[in-house]
Amino acid sequence: MAHITKSAAFRLGLLVFGALAALTVVEFVLALYLNIWQLLLLVAILKAGLVLYYYMHIYRLFQADTTLDHNSYAYKLATNRLGLWLFFISDSFVFGGLMIARINLLGLTHPHLEQTVGLIVTAVLLISSFFMNRAETAMAHGDRKQFAISTAITLALGILFLIGVVGVEWQIAPFGPGDGAQGAVFYSMTGFHAFHVLTGVIFLAIVLRNGLRGRYSPEKHWGVEACAIYWHFVDVVWIFYYPALYLVGTAIA
Amino acid sequence: MKTILSLGLVRGLAWEILGTALGIGFVALVRALMGLPAWKAEPAVVFGALLGALFFLYGVGILNDWLKWAAGEETEDHLDDSHLGWRRYFGPSLDHKVIGIQYLVLSLLLMSVGGLFALIFRTELARSQMQFLTLNQYNTLMSLHGMVMIISILLGISAFMNYLVPMLIGARDMAFPRLNSFSFWIAVPAGLILLSSLFLGGFDTGWTGYPPLSVRAPLGMQMFFLGVSLAGFSSILGGLNIIVTVVRLRAHSMTAFRMPIFVWAALATSVISLTATQLIGLSFQMVMLQRLFGMGFFDPAKGGNPILFQHLFWFYSHPAVYIFVLPGLGIISELLPVFVRKPLFGYRWVAMSSLGIALVGFLVWAHHMFTSGMAEYLRVPFMYSTLLVAVPTGVKFFSWVATVWRGKISFDTPMLFILAGIIVFLLGGLSGPPNATISTDLHLHDTYFIVGHFHDTMYGGYIFPFFAAIFYWYPKMTGKRLNETLGKLQFWLIAPSFTVMSLLMMRVGLLGMRRRIADYDPALGFDPYHLVMTIMAFLTALGVIVFFINLIYTHFKGQPATGNVWNSRSPEWQVPSPMPVHNYDRELEVVGEPYDYGLPGSRYVKFHGEA
Ligand SMILES: [Cu+2]
Repeated sequence: MAHITKSAAFRLGLLVFGALAALTVVEFVLALYLNIWQLLLLVAILKAGLVLYYYMHIYRLFQADTTLDHNSYAYKLATNRLGLWLFFISDSFVFGGLMIARINLLGLTHPHLEQTVGLIVTAVLLISSFFMNRAETAMAHGDRKQFAISTAITLALGILFLIGVVGVEWQIAPFGPGDGAQGAVFYSMTGFHAFHVLTGVIFLAIVLRNGLRGRYSPEKHWGVEACAIYWHFVDVVWIFYYPALYLVGTAIA
Repeated sequence: MKTILSLGLVRGLAWEILGTALGIGFVALVRALMGLPAWKAEPAVVFGALLGALFFLYGVGILNDWLKWAAGEETEDHLDDSHLGWRRYFGPSLDHKVIGIQYLVLSLLLMSVGGLFALIFRTELARSQMQFLTLNQYNTLMSLHGMVMIISILLGISAFMNYLVPMLIGARDMAFPRLNSFSFWIAVPAGLILLSSLFLGGFDTGWTGYPPLSVRAPLGMQMFFLGVSLAGFSSILGGLNIIVTVVRLRAHSMTAFRMPIFVWAALATSVISLTATQLIGLSFQMVMLQRLFGMGFFDPAKGGNPILFQHLFWFYSHPAVYIFVLPGLGIISELLPVFVRKPLFGYRWVAMSSLGIALVGFLVWAHHMFTSGMAEYLRVPFMYSTLLVAVPTGVKFFSWVATVWRGKISFDTPMLFILAGIIVFLLGGLSGPPNATISTDLHLHDTYFIVGHFHDTMYGGYIFPFFAAIFYWYPKMTGKRLNETLGKLQFWLIAPSFTVMSLLMMRVGLLGMRRRIADYDPALGFDPYHLVMTIMAFLTALGVIVFFINLIYTHFKGQPATGNVWNSRSPEWQVPSPMPVHNYDRELEVVGEPYDYGLPGSRYVKFHGEA
């Protein structure tokens, strides 16, 4: 988004975050009063669409090349993007497979979980996505200080999410991995997702360190962009996993 | 000695041993700290094997550049390592041609191992009653034969995709050379872990690893699951690399419908391996988790569902056979025009049929489950979608027949293998619909009919085109031509004996011979069939031995062949063999159709600045 000013880009990021937050509230309220899975799916698709477009810039995949020189940075950048997105497609099949297992085994019930924790970790991840976008935007506009601050906040929120899921929810859940289908489904879905968050946190730490040492510039910061869209991808997964694990149908007694 | 120790492979293996030991020790330590008995074989060995594989990758040196990137250092692209000579084949080379040959060697190695397993249990089957194997040994060998061959095939197609695709599209290398090298090297520990199951109690599920049997099988089962999961990454990342390379790195003038047909096939195959492969990995990992942590995915007593495994498993494992055969069918379409000196009939249709097979292939998986107790209403749609595959496949046959029609055929060894490939794949194709049709499949399921059908599709769609490709591109790889006499001897040893064996498999299957079992009732009268099949299997193996003799013979006494041996229009043959390190010095320009053989004065490519 180099064609708009930095403050406009920041504003857009905030606006998208507002919409995502509002949709999350809608989702939660729907789950309480009008628990129809199609509606919850629709909200999740809307949220994922916003993230895919505004935070992950999916449209960049379809932009025409500015140069046809295979050795130029611009051409390689577009090539790298395509590679990363294909990786997302591939990875989606893992997450999708687990979702199929969840639908097959639990149907219109969800594991017996602490709703407050679920809402908190979801909010944490959502806020982290906002800061991730802010960090990338800052780097694209050459604002190194804002980049460092936002990346550090994202990193901290990522760790907080991991603590919330693995450190809290896993410990207080009234069932273990070996207890029924809900145990298998819950621990595998959150486990695979948490593993991705962990790799994202490591990625963030690397990008933060290299950023502080001045390795990125507004023109050349593929590392930051890759880290950002990877982080958002992990967020998109949670956009579907959160309602699937916490909201859809009735809690298993 | 110092040279040996500097090889990536040797360092990798040393690191793998270290990693495995550390992993086992770590699990024991954690268990002791948790107040449990320190030694429990399964978690320790699984974690040890996983850590060993990671350490292997580090030891080989394939992670070095990425670690440097993470540390904020720059690395050089396209390192020319040709000064290393033979040693670069044992280390993390970034050259797609070196990686292609690495794949090829590993594939041939695993093919020999898998074939040896088959010979052993085939010998056991030659007579009814058990002769020299225990039931567990039989089951382990039979199961490993399946998966070792599958991985060998995946590596074999990767060999040719890696070696050829950048050359055919006029690229300097693959889009992501480091990832390419990683994809190859991860297959090495994967293969080792898979084979280690032989020594860890084996397993008895067949290559499909269905629970609940796989939940109760010996420890070897876990090594099987882990090895396959790791090999899956090789396939996934290799597919990703091919897609990006084809989309982004083609010569500017090479439009989609002027790409060589093999590139289309590689693209279609890669679409499947990129996506579906994740689900066999996931289904296997779910069984691993069930065994390690008691997670009840497939345990009905815990609310799990064993049929779920079969859905996830076959969502990959049916399209997988298209991963295996599409490149082979692409090689058939690629070579046929060269040896009949005529244009490929219906180029666009053939190109599209590869994608068509790949896409329809995603919709057919449950035809493996007609007898497994899945919902009955699912059977009919899967029957029709499966039969639909015959349409794009038929397009290919139509094109081949029309291409050969009234051509000036020259029967060099590659062409013999191509023709045998077409015929045997036709046998495999024709024996397919009876398995796809519910009413007949209910009888054929789990009989040798399926085994015969499957081996026909694999030989026709992979093995024969694979040998054709080796004979055809060997001069490109080495600058020497494989011996024709030995090549023809190999062909006449393999093709007829294999065909007889597969037809007999179908025959005993129809008579009621169950597949996968170690023994059969002598009263059934199958003994003579099995004896002939075993003899045919040994003749086939003899053919493969002749092939290896040919490789050795050619290495020492082969005649040099540096020019356009086959008089091909394809770009890689317009430069001298073996292929220069940088592929092409000048940019490739596409100036005509790829397969206009026999059209006077026409060319497919020229080099920038050339008249
Ligand atoms: Cu199938």
